[in-house]
Amino acid sequence: MVEVGGGAAEAAAGRRWRLADERCDLRAAETEYVRRFHRHEPRDHQCSSAVAKHIKAPVHLVWSLVRRFDQPQLFKPFVSRCEMKGNIEIGSVREVNVKSGLPATRSTERLELLDDNEHILSVRFVGGDHRLKNYSSILTVHPEVIDGRPGTLVIESFVVDVPEGNTKDETCYFVEALLKCNLKSLAEVSERLVVKDQTEPLDR
Amino acid sequence: MAEICCEVVAGSSSEGKGPECDTGSRAARRRRMEIRRLRVVAERGAEEETSGKRRRLDGGGGEASTDEEDREVERARYGFTSVCGRRRDMEDSVSACPGFLPGHHFFGVFDGHGCSHVATSCGQRMHEIVVDEAGAAAGSAGLDEEARWRGVMERSFARMDAEAVASSRGSVAPAPTCRCEMQLPKCDHVGSTAVVAVLGPRHVVVANCGDSRAVLCRGGAAIPLSCDHKPDRPDELERIHAAGGRVIFWDGARVFGMLAMSRAIGDSYLKPYVICDPEVRVMERKDGEDEFLILASDGLWDVVSNEVACNVVRACLRSSGRRERNRSSPTSNLSPRQSSSSGDEAPNDGAPSAAAGSESDEESAAEEDKACAEAAVLLTKLALARQTSDNVSVVVVNLRRRKL
Repeated sequence: MVEVGGGAAEAAAGRRWRLADERCDLRAAETEYVRRFHRHEPRDHQCSSAVAKHIKAPVHLVWSLVRRFDQPQLFKPFVSRCEMKGNIEIGSVREVNVKSGLPATRSTERLELLDDNEHILSVRFVGGDHRLKNYSSILTVHPEVIDGRPGTLVIESFVVDVPEGNTKDETCYFVEALLKCNLKSLAEVSERLVVKDQTEPLDR
Repeated sequence: MAEICCEVVAGSSSEGKGPECDTGSRAARRRRMEIRRLRVVAERGAEEETSGKRRRLDGGGGEASTDEEDREVERARYGFTSVCGRRRDMEDSVSACPGFLPGHHFFGVFDGHGCSHVATSCGQRMHEIVVDEAGAAAGSAGLDEEARWRGVMERSFARMDAEAVASSRGSVAPAPTCRCEMQLPKCDHVGSTAVVAVLGPRHVVVANCGDSRAVLCRGGAAIPLSCDHKPDRPDELERIHAAGGRVIFWDGARVFGMLAMSRAIGDSYLKPYVICDPEVRVMERKDGEDEFLILASDGLWDVVSNEVACNVVRACLRSSGRRERNRSSPTSNLSPRQSSSSGDEAPNDGAPSAAAGSESDEESAAEEDKACAEAAVLLTKLALARQTSDNVSVVVVNLRRRKL
């Protein structure tokens, strides 16, 4: 199941964003992208799902944030710090510190794929004190037009082991909630950068 | 392993933390005074705010002093600690404001998550908001004290929540206490518990939101005055389900599998499932039976039961009582570090010494404060020894009436 944020809830201006509002039907284009780029083959004890988000910012800008594998805290609201040695390249490993209040404090993550042409980022969790074993994710960004302006469709999909004591449904629900928070935050940071870009010439 | 911060920062009311309310004089208590006093304070609170001075309720102003002259004002005797413990970051906040309203003392413990900013602003603002709301409520006739305090607390928590959410909007610079590496200007994902106690002449009011806790020791029994807001508490679970939310057991019961409490200040992203409405308890004080009140974050309660905590505090206060009677100098190896970091905690220089107290009274009061601080330190050390993984904050308030 894919849930797409950025519908009527966004229009309700003035109200704070709520996780509860991130709900919308999947559009045809998104299904097509998922089919092409987000192929996971979950095994019996695993679950898989995807979330999507429409961002009112051009692809190059959104991608410039997403591709910073060494700095997920640029947009991920639950990351407090991140350490990574060396350059951003396939096989790079980052140590992520998670903010308090969540069911984890740290995560070790490996960069599996970074394609600057197709705009694909794939990450695998290789350690940490969380319950997401064999977690692997794919994030893609695609250009689109929103209200006559360049926009971006972001899709993030994952596959992960269902931990003991939980159902597939619960596991998906939890991971989707996390991803929705990340993508919502990515949208906000990107859209703020757009505004900043537009106003900057005036400052000079 | 993470470095363990064992430096205990402790405070007690004897060190001039906050203004003391010493407007004592001898007269019978009159019920009607309650409402009038509240009104007076609201006015005075506004004055102080504009003048930017430290709040001092020493009964200087005309109407105020005539009102207060009529009653005995109980001096607050309390102590507190707040330590980081094994956690990476310190996200707890404690506030203690004796005499924040005439004859009333304010204590609060705020346990932040996501970052420290919401807990910090609760520590800085909650008592001011309560003063404000108490002043506004003073005019509402026909309500008994319990109903009035309930309303005051509910409105105060709602305002605190709105402020916490608003201050995380892009327009305001991040709080200096923010430890987020990138200091994202917007933090929907930050929150705090809040357990607040107002000690009045006849009542103890406790308002709680989250999983910090207030425990009263009365007649030897530990009576919890708040009930932790855990997502799997049956009524909370039902409320979350009714709102369309979901609780997942993911390293304990969590809303969306994420937050392990069902109410909090902040956390706007989890509304309407996680709400900021406090549960308010108004207890009539029982002289002769009430011993003390403990407020603490779950860093304590995770590893120390209500009963054990009460036993520890009682032992501390008793041994101090004996010391006082023997007039021997205290020889405790606990010597709490006095918290004197922030500038507004300057000693009461130039303040008129308490009209009601002779020197020995002052000494024994200081001794009692010390005992409360020692009790708080001891509880904290016990929690650390029992391997608590969280920040630990403890406030101990002595409830025994002093014989005058």
